[in-house]
Amino acid sequence: MSAPVLVAEGLTRELPGDPPVTLVAGADLAIEPGKFTAIVGPSGCGKSSLLYLLGLIDRPTAGRLLLEGRDVSPLSGDERARIRLERFGFVFQFHFLLPEFNALENVMMPIRRLGRLSLAQAEARARELLGFMGLAGKAEKSPDKLSGGERQRVAIARALANDPLLVLGDEPTGNLDSVNSARVVDLFRSLAHEQGRAVVCVTHDPGIAEVADIRVSMLDGRISEVRRQG
Amino acid sequence: MFPRLRLLVHIAAKHLLVRRRQTAVAVSGVAVGVGFFLAVSAMMVGSQTDFVKTLIDAAPHIIVSDELRSPRPQPGVAAFAKEGAVELHGFKVRTEVRGIKDWQEMLREIDAIPGAIASPSLSGAVTMRLGGRDEALAVIGIDPSIESRVSTISDKLRTGRLIDLERVQGGVIIGEDQAQRLGLGMGDVVSATSARGGTRSLRIVGLFKKGQQVGSGVGYMLLREAQSLLGRPFVINRIGVKLADPYSAEDVAARLEARHGYKAESWQERSADFLGLLVTRNVIMYTVVSAILLVASFGIYTAVSNSVTDKKRDIAIMRSMGFSQGDLQAVFVMEGMALAVAGVFAGWLLGYVLMSVLGSLNFSIQGEVRHLPLDRSSRQYLIAASASLVAGIVAAWLPARKTARVDPVDILRGAV
Repeated sequence: MSAPVLVAEGLTRELPGDPPVTLVAGADLAIEPGKFTAIVGPSGCGKSSLLYLLGLIDRPTAGRLLLEGRDVSPLSGDERARIRLERFGFVFQFHFLLPEFNALENVMMPIRRLGRLSLAQAEARARELLGFMGLAGKAEKSPDKLSGGERQRVAIARALANDPLLVLGDEPTGNLDSVNSARVVDLFRSLAHEQGRAVVCVTHDPGIAEVADIRVSMLDGRISEVRRQG
Repeated sequence: MFPRLRLLVHIAAKHLLVRRRQTAVAVSGVAVGVGFFLAVSAMMVGSQTDFVKTLIDAAPHIIVSDELRSPRPQPGVAAFAKEGAVELHGFKVRTEVRGIKDWQEMLREIDAIPGAIASPSLSGAVTMRLGGRDEALAVIGIDPSIESRVSTISDKLRTGRLIDLERVQGGVIIGEDQAQRLGLGMGDVVSATSARGGTRSLRIVGLFKKGQQVGSGVGYMLLREAQSLLGRPFVINRIGVKLADPYSAEDVAARLEARHGYKAESWQERSADFLGLLVTRNVIMYTVVSAILLVASFGIYTAVSNSVTDKKRDIAIMRSMGFSQGDLQAVFVMEGMALAVAGVFAGWLLGYVLMSVLGSLNFSIQGEVRHLPLDRSSRQYLIAASASLVAGIVAAWLPARKTARVDPVDILRGAV
């Protein structure tokens, strides 16, 4: 087992109120590189909330989150945004492509924001990723001219744009037919196994849960079981 | 920094291009504001400049007269100024000849100021007598070659030239209407008597146009001849000063008065009441015009506000991607700036067209064709542009702050 990239210690998220609503309660979890982790559980069990905490989109109300050994929970919004930009890639149930931009421009967006590559290099990188997703011929298409499966693959290409350490998926196959779902699952597995990234997916899909290396089950905001598979 | 800015500009531009109609409305709002600002302020500033120019040109910039604003200090006080506590009562003031005494020296002093011209003159009252009719005339003795450079009286001549005063013995220029009353024409001779008893024959060598203040009841003569007619040889009682910079008149007048004691009145002092009115007028104009620009910026507010609301989902996704709140606010502020800039350029064009239309209008005043005095200086363009830009940025920044309140978690989870 290699050193975990992301470690949650007693991660808790409560919504203020009387009484407060607990979304995630004291979650302890280690996310490992090269492994495909699936978070499963019934609706409303807090699995997406946990994912947003792990992805630095939401802030925990208690507990610590260590990214490669460094506590990132007290960081400012801009610092957290910088980490998301450099290290994380997100894929959601809905593709969330920016409708004004074509597939290529959508994939280039995080690369341009990071600003490490020239415009030409950014475009080459985005084309390479689209090619890897089997979308080489659709780079100039606007999102509404693409099928659901194609859009989701563009979104995955965008998530990979800055070569992230960690890929986070929130029901990435939730809106796809079985053929496209299987394709996305294979993709996620290869991101972990062949590219050595840490991949975390929240899912309802038993097919994904089956093939995951680590299966995290949640119930009522708590992690009920962590099982290594395969 | 630069590639990031380019990306944000790219996003802002896409947002605006997608919402063409709203963009067009916001831009035309600013354009109309800027255009009418330019047209209105061109008229207001133009007419004011015209008016002030008339005020300035109507008479010399500074008039030094032989009056004193305060009595001359008593000789005793002057002699014991340091000790103070000296005051004489019941002394008799020596009768002095009225007039500016050290005028030659004052002329030299004024001529030493770069671009300044001083014109000495002597005025006094005479009575013109013709066939049993008497007519009062205020005679002003001038040096025609200097006076023509100091004031605009030569423009007001119907016939004759100022310089003719030097060519004709006893030449005088009087008002057209007065000449008509006496039945006089060019070249006619009239006799004039002054209070001190001198009587001379004057020959009409020029006539002032009707309705001009300068020409009614006033006759211009050669200084030398006026001195002899009025019985005050070598004396003058007025120095008209023209300065290169009319707005320095107040300072120069104060300096002359402090040094020589004679009352030196600048055009500002003479026209203080008019200048006060102009200040009020400007306050009104800028209030109204700022309101126009402010209302124009409401269009920007609406456009940016709608854009933020419409783009909540995109804001959330960009936040998750790693865009900072500052990035997203910048995108929307830039949208507002782009609208303002486009509006300013369109407004400049509109203003230019409006001014051309206004400038081409002809008005007939007393038989003379006049155009509206318009100020087309770049200053107005710059004022309109900077005011619109500031209003536009504020109008965009207010709704752009809303991006900070977009909670990505809510949107990404609950979305479609």
